[in-house]
Amino acid sequence: HIAEDSSKLLQHVKFQSSNFENILMWDSEPDSIPGTVYSVDYKTYGEPQWLAKAGCQRITRKSCNLTMETGNLTEFYYARVTAVSSGGLSATKMTERFNSLQHTTIKPPDVTCVPKVRSIQMIVHPTLTPVYDGDGHQLTLEEIFQNLFYRLELHINHTYQMHLGGNQREYEFSGLTPDTEFLGSIVILVPTWSKESAPYVCRVKTLPDRTWT
Amino acid sequence: QGHEFRFGPCQVEGVALPRLWEAFQTMKDTVQAQDNITSVRLLRREVLQNVSGAESCHLTHDLLKFYLNTVFKNYHSKIAELKMLPSLSSLANNFLFIVSKLQPSNHESLSVSDSAHRRFLLFKRAFKQLEIEAALTKAFGEVDILLTWMGKFYR
Repeated sequence: HIAEDSSKLLQHVKFQSSNFENILMWDSEPDSIPGTVYSVDYKTYGEPQWLAKAGCQRITRKSCNLTMETGNLTEFYYARVTAVSSGGLSATKMTERFNSLQHTTIKPPDVTCVPKVRSIQMIVHPTLTPVYDGDGHQLTLEEIFQNLFYRLELHINHTYQMHLGGNQREYEFSGLTPDTEFLGSIVILVPTWSKESAPYVCRVKTLPDRTWT
Repeated sequence: QGHEFRFGPCQVEGVALPRLWEAFQTMKDTVQAQDNITSVRLLRREVLQNVSGAESCHLTHDLLKFYLNTVFKNYHSKIAELKMLPSLSSLANNFLFIVSKLQPSNHESLSVSDSAHRRFLLFKRAFKQLEIEAALTKAFGEVDILLTWMGKFYR
């Protein structure tokens, strides 16, 4: 009976990582005992000791930011949560082995879409991550993933799209009709790791043509 | 297309690293969950960090041969139980292909091959210090560490 109750205290202990922001998350059953507090430990795979995460000891929320503690891209980590109910029942669960290079998902890029008369320019801004190199330089996604590239689409009408792609910052779709609305969609791809971001979408209208004809 | 591994002087074309990842991903969580020794890592920093290009050909050759002849060979029945043989075959065939293409030359200085071999022995010694079942499970579960390292030589 106790085993059954303690499993209610704590479920689905796992990392959720997006652009190298590594958040430990967990759950408990809806009707679990109120007043439960949670404490988080973490360790580097291959090291003997578990370390208590300051700021996530005896908390009532069900998440803990471990970005700084799990930021080394060549390391692998475990985290574990211990739940203690007001009645003294406790449960401890550990994550699977975690490595941010493998597990992080990629957020949509930050893009500026600039309408002109007969073209639309798209400027992709570098994406900073919370990862730093040995010299304290904050790394961008582009610096972490050597073969990262962008795929850009411009929807002309229901059946026709234009495509551009590459790893440079600036792109231009030209030969467009003035004073017309277009839908742009830009994704980030990292082929080596089979990663693809959700699209950044911009709806933009080309400028009216004011030249005398 | 057009991707290759370049381990120093050794070049291997025709292997897609994402396919290796795909094969391992289907087995990873199941196998790693069976490795309860979280305080031991076989492919530690001393084995894989700061490996020179010249060393990388020797080290990759030694490691992949060990995985083929010891880890995959002896863990095969376990993977069969878990019904993941197709993934193991895909991984093993790719490793076999890579090893067949790696020709660590003997022209390099003795120190390069010695240095690579010392790294490999660190790994092998750690493997032998564990009970065989635990060692096989841990080594198999560390294929992601191996692939992450190999990814540095993938263009």
